[in-house]
Amino acid sequence: MTDQQQMDLRKDEVEAGTQTGLASPSVDVTSGRQNSLWSDAWGELRRNPLFWIGAVLGLVFTLMAVFPQLFARGAHPRSCDLANSRATPSAEHWFGFDQQGCDYLANVVYGARSSLIIGVTAVLVVLVLGVVVGAVAGYFGGFTDGLLSRLADIFYGLPLILGALVVLRSGVLGRGTFAVAIALAVFGWMTAMRLVRSQVIAVKSSDYVAAARAMGASSPRILVRHILPNAVAPVLVYATITIGVLIAAEATLTYLGVGLQRPAISWGLQIDAGQDLLRSAPHLVLFPSLVLTLTVMAFIMMGDALRDALDPRQRA
Amino acid sequence: MTRPERSTSVLPGTATPVLEVDDLHVEFRTRSGVVSAVNGVSYSLSEGQTLAILGESGSGKSVSAQAIMGILDSPPAVITGGGIHFEGRDLLTMSPEEQRRVRGPGISMIFQDALSSLNPVYSVGFQIGEMFRAHRGMSKRDAKKQAIELMDRVRIPAAASRVDDYPHQFSGGMRQRVMIAMAIALDPRVLIADEPTTALDVTVQAQVMDLLKDLQRDTGMGLILITHDLGVVNEVADDVAVMYAGRIVERGTVDDVFGNPAHPYTDGLMSSVPQVEAKGGRLLPIVGQPPNLAAIPSGCPFHPRCSRRRLGDAAAPGRECATDVPPLRLVAPAREAACHYSEEVLGV
Amino acid sequence: MSEPTTGATAASRVPSAAPGEALLEIRGLKKHFPLTQGIVFKRTVGHVRAVDGVDLTMRRGETVGLVGESGCGKSTVSKLLVALERPTDGQILYKGRDVARMSGRALKAYRREVQIIFQDPYASLNPRMTVGDIVAEGWAVHADIAPKKGRLQRTQELLDRVGLNPDYVNRYPHQFSGGQRQRIGIARALALRPEVVVCDEPVSALDVSVQAQVVNLLEDVQDEFGLSYLFIAHDLSVVRHISDRVAVMYLGSIVEEGTDAQVYGSPSHPYTQALLSSVPLHEPHLRGQKDRILLQGDVPSPADPPSGCRFRTRCWKAQDICAQEAPALVDRGQGHPSACHFAEARTVVPVDVE
Repeated sequence: MTDQQQMDLRKDEVEAGTQTGLASPSVDVTSGRQNSLWSDAWGELRRNPLFWIGAVLGLVFTLMAVFPQLFARGAHPRSCDLANSRATPSAEHWFGFDQQGCDYLANVVYGARSSLIIGVTAVLVVLVLGVVVGAVAGYFGGFTDGLLSRLADIFYGLPLILGALVVLRSGVLGRGTFAVAIALAVFGWMTAMRLVRSQVIAVKSSDYVAAARAMGASSPRILVRHILPNAVAPVLVYATITIGVLIAAEATLTYLGVGLQRPAISWGLQIDAGQDLLRSAPHLVLFPSLVLTLTVMAFIMMGDALRDALDPRQRA
Repeated sequence: MTRPERSTSVLPGTATPVLEVDDLHVEFRTRSGVVSAVNGVSYSLSEGQTLAILGESGSGKSVSAQAIMGILDSPPAVITGGGIHFEGRDLLTMSPEEQRRVRGPGISMIFQDALSSLNPVYSVGFQIGEMFRAHRGMSKRDAKKQAIELMDRVRIPAAASRVDDYPHQFSGGMRQRVMIAMAIALDPRVLIADEPTTALDVTVQAQVMDLLKDLQRDTGMGLILITHDLGVVNEVADDVAVMYAGRIVERGTVDDVFGNPAHPYTDGLMSSVPQVEAKGGRLLPIVGQPPNLAAIPSGCPFHPRCSRRRLGDAAAPGRECATDVPPLRLVAPAREAACHYSEEVLGV
Repeated sequence: MSEPTTGATAASRVPSAAPGEALLEIRGLKKHFPLTQGIVFKRTVGHVRAVDGVDLTMRRGETVGLVGESGCGKSTVSKLLVALERPTDGQILYKGRDVARMSGRALKAYRREVQIIFQDPYASLNPRMTVGDIVAEGWAVHADIAPKKGRLQRTQELLDRVGLNPDYVNRYPHQFSGGQRQRIGIARALALRPEVVVCDEPVSALDVSVQAQVVNLLEDVQDEFGLSYLFIAHDLSVVRHISDRVAVMYLGSIVEEGTDAQVYGSPSHPYTQALLSSVPLHEPHLRGQKDRILLQGDVPSPADPPSGCRFRTRCWKAQDICAQEAPALVDRGQGHPSACHFAEARTVVPVDVE
């Protein structure tokens, strides 16, 4: 076969490939630029309505946490009048009044701050602990893995609430929002760690990691470029759901008398207080639960969209 | 060379067929579109005949067998047309209950992956015996005795002492033998073997293929051998049907088809495979990739990869490769091909 | 098509070996994997002798085929060669230097010159990287090969060279078929301008019609880039087609070695004979013309291999000496080395007279 014939054959193969296997390119053809996972993921996120719904909701609640006075319709959560105790919602007071006769809308709005701080801080700590410990255990394996995994098992043995209860009772961290967040995270990171660890172990033995090692790539490079992008996706989804779980756990701690204490304002405290009055004033449970659910949904939608965006195989 | 026990042809009218597949159509209806996996496939199998169905991944060769066995995942798979006649009765018009009664003892199947086809928590003897307990109502003890006998028949050494072993204690080749034992337990008239040796090493493959041939000679069952391996087809089968993009593109006896292909795809396959008996020169591959079944090319599905295609004015009227679908037609005595220009390919 | 540039980086590389001389020499190579028990503190209860004394020489520009059945240790040899595993014993000499003793910079330079192509085109490409990033990754590690500026263009040249549309740099692996992915893997290996490429079953996962395309591509780039291949496969036909010399492996060691004509035409080790006689031929006129040697039993466990000759438990020639003394891989008068006390050439594959 002459060179020319070989060139023709090759050309044929390329053309046949475009005709049969993969019709027209689904990603835009080069414009002299090299896409990366992150730039493609952002392009994907921008087109996902689910992400935008989640992002807008998340932004609203964040604003609420930072500038509650903008949302409280002029009312202050601590200016109360017992005459209004448990009044139902009206045009003037959308969410009605609580048992002390305080404007409930203002209370729910002002509660966003501590609830969000607890949820987000605790989840961030869970993520950092889970990803770092899980990646180290999974990547290095052997003795390190044995030690860290057993450590996680010990923490698993202590129930989240019980552990947090003991830590908060002891008072080493104080009793503020951050103390509650840390206490919850310290006893809630193990599942994230196990998820990361198992993913890292699976990815570590894959051929593309072997190829990178055979190429001379360093351990940090392999971790950052190959292993973590492929290992964090399930953890992201887990983390978004956990935000809700942790905000709810804060409510439980409060109920047990070790979480936030009045006069602090939080959704957990409100749901807790409302439970006793569920029959006579159901709106006291309804409204904080509703905003809590919306917050959790916002994070779950963002997490879902992010996971899909980070997985090229999910793209059409 | 000739082999006396070969039956002559897959073409209709020669012997009474046990199994007939007639213009079968299967689609997969997925979220991203309709995938046409089988597009009008017909073949028949008589007693004692070995029919090889040769094709690459995505050619529809396994899907048609799954349709015969009634083990298509539906949804998404839907049989959209055609018939499957076993001993003269159309399986597709029967009630599911009736289908099970007919298929159960009549047609059986073995798969590529024997390990995942066996239940890891039951001993192999129990799983083989299950066939007799479920279909023949045998007692536990009789079923076990039968299982040992079957394990002997498929040449598992020391069957009596291994009958209580679990699947993971067997090697790949031995597991495939266990699968074969289960498949022949009820003396089926048709055995479908879907890539039975693909996962096995070449020396083990030879043992398993030998076993299948011997069993077939003893029982007279019809054997459908689904494979992508030209060598296995040549050594084991009487007749071959070559599939491409859900259609049969050529069929006839193995000697005819492999000796002188009538379809450019078969021809291309033959020249892409290196030989063990000679070093050979440069391979002549088929260009391009196998087709996407969600977007099968118009006209002849093979035309984008075909070196003999005739497009536009170069084509004879009604035989334009990109627009006219070539029917499967008689191109020489006892052989069929679906190419407008088979005579040229054959060189007659 | 433009030829990728060389030269600029040649100075920094290990001095080149002259053509024909040994480029890579494997001597007494062993790899034993420990079998362990325990959770935190692991206790070794035995060893799997995956590779147990392999000798092999590869010359510049040559293709050495390594055949054997699953579990014979051929893939472990490939991992040892690209320094993904450290040998338990023995040497891998690359241009005279022992790879096992290399570290740091020397190892990095070695890894640049010895590349690997994997079997499974679905597992060997990172699903979250674009094809362009995958091919160019080697340049991020070895920055001296290609200056940052022209990398995209060079990536596109490489894609074009392996028969892919250069416009596809921003696509992800899942958008390609198996054969196309294998081409991406080849481009990734070529990007480092290696001298040796270890091909670990590079075509076994591909469809028949696509296999030939990839085999041809491997042959073309070998000539063009001056590569030496270690071609590992279980498909004896493909190995014969592509290899200059062939080594047959059984249970961790090489049992026979020679040119393709010697090993296939006059195999002298019983295992090679059995292996060759099991290969189904696809020519109707050759059917039934070969001796069929059906092996009995299964391959013994590499954790507890038989004494003496590894093959004796399944061999029809075995005698007392086979259990006592392991046969050396030497020429016993049949023209090429064979590790059998009773080596004797025998034709099992019919010679194609066409």
